[in-house]
Amino acid sequence: MGKLEGKVACITGGTRSIGRAMAEAFIAEGATVVVNGRDPVKGERCLAEMNAGARAAFFPGDAAKQSVVEGLIDFTIEKFGHLDICCLNSGGVQATAPVSMMSDEEWNLEIDWNLNHVFWGMRRALQHMIPRQAGRVIVTSSVEGKLGKPGLPGYVATKHAVNGLVKSAAHEVGTLGITVNAILPGIIETDIVRETGPASAQAMGVGSYEALIEMFCSESSIKRPNRVEEVAAVAVLLASDAARNMTGCLFPVDGGTLPY
Amino acid sequence: MGTLDGRVACVTGGTRGIGLAIAKAFLDEGARVVINGRDPAKAAQSLAELNAGDRAHFIAGDVKKREDCEAVVDGTVERFGRIDILVANAGGAAGFAPVAELTDEAMDDAIKWNLWHTLWVMRRAFKYMIPQGYGRVINVSSVEGKAGKPGMSTYVAAKHAVNGLTKSAAKEVGPLGITVNAVCPGVIETDIVKEGGAGAAAAMGLTYDQLLATFAADSAIKRINEVEDVANVAVLLASEIGGGITGSLISIDGGTSPY
Repeated sequence: MGKLEGKVACITGGTRSIGRAMAEAFIAEGATVVVNGRDPVKGERCLAEMNAGARAAFFPGDAAKQSVVEGLIDFTIEKFGHLDICCLNSGGVQATAPVSMMSDEEWNLEIDWNLNHVFWGMRRALQHMIPRQAGRVIVTSSVEGKLGKPGLPGYVATKHAVNGLVKSAAHEVGTLGITVNAILPGIIETDIVRETGPASAQAMGVGSYEALIEMFCSESSIKRPNRVEEVAAVAVLLASDAARNMTGCLFPVDGGTLPY
Repeated sequence: MGTLDGRVACVTGGTRGIGLAIAKAFLDEGARVVINGRDPAKAAQSLAELNAGDRAHFIAGDVKKREDCEAVVDGTVERFGRIDILVANAGGAAGFAPVAELTDEAMDDAIKWNLWHTLWVMRRAFKYMIPQGYGRVINVSSVEGKAGKPGMSTYVAAKHAVNGLTKSAAKEVGPLGITVNAVCPGVIETDIVKEGGAGAAAAMGLTYDQLLATFAADSAIKRINEVEDVANVAVLLASEIGGGITGSLISIDGGTSPY
């Protein structure tokens, strides 16, 4: 008997890395999961690899677009009847830069991707969850939601904003059987970090991708990056009935990096 | 097949309330567990309730005494051969009063009960965990480890200190396969709160029921927490997969703490 038997979840950015680990962990606990991602080929491959039959589906699209985020939630409810767990996990940077050199385009992209996507998804999900008086919203934030690194102004600002959004929403729906929490992972060598890491390292003035990873590790207590499965285990807990009395929580999975 | 199969845990203040719920959850996940408490009569009842045969064991001791704290940890290793998980759970306060009227004895008692006890058991457990390169320490702190209520300065100061100790220790043993975390529950109606709650309430100019209502009102869920809330998080932190989480002060407070 799994901890999420009969539950329906959707996950933005769910075909790879953290989102994918969440999807697999949810499925292992008995849930049905819709994963979202930009690339239909990766989506199909993800479904094949997860091998969960009718308990998994893919919804294509860019999570930085309102129509896609809302479409994912509507699709999930239409296909599986309801939505219990909404994971707003997608996010990142593309061509980050120090504030003095930051382009409006990159700034807007990060606001849409990291903040607006979470707002759009949360609003749509809560509209469905409030009448049902049940639900879990889990946002993948970051240690950078509490700290600040040079060269990542948009990422740091949007992750801080997301943490504020989570706390505010948690208070709004706290008595309605709905919890809203954020997970704050430390550095994880996900595909997206590998892809954009070299450019980010440049913007942050640390030279190489390896130096970037090493910098994050050295700031932690465990002196290693985190792993996607570590985040997924916390997501399972927050998604389960066991966590009905945990909300507005900013849950670090950062190997002892954050001071608070 | 549990997530704590083969692991050995020691829970101070484990015969009642949060500690007993944690012990139960650990046993369900396959661990062997030592519970500590002051009263052997209560312990007999707790062991009967746990119904785990020789996988559960009681060691008597007063956590306000160093030799008792060390004996509980040593006794765990003697009984089960090792210690993987330490839960420094006992704690509380008495003699609540506003700072202007606070006695030295009340502060001294709260510091012994919450802070010294945590240091004593953790330091002793590290003696075993560091050579074995594996360990999970879970300190039961409180929402009052992050905030402050009037009339509760002894408890608030002690729990803030426990949170600081947790973060510092986490950095010391982080690369050694040992994690050190604190859980920060909101108010829960445990025996200890029922016993000490009236005094705390009086120091705040409230009745006991008003005190609980105040805590509930501060939360997002508008009700108080339950012991199982804490036990579920403790299982995660105690498990292998919890190895990426350390130095964390996990709020289990229904959305009360601001950070």
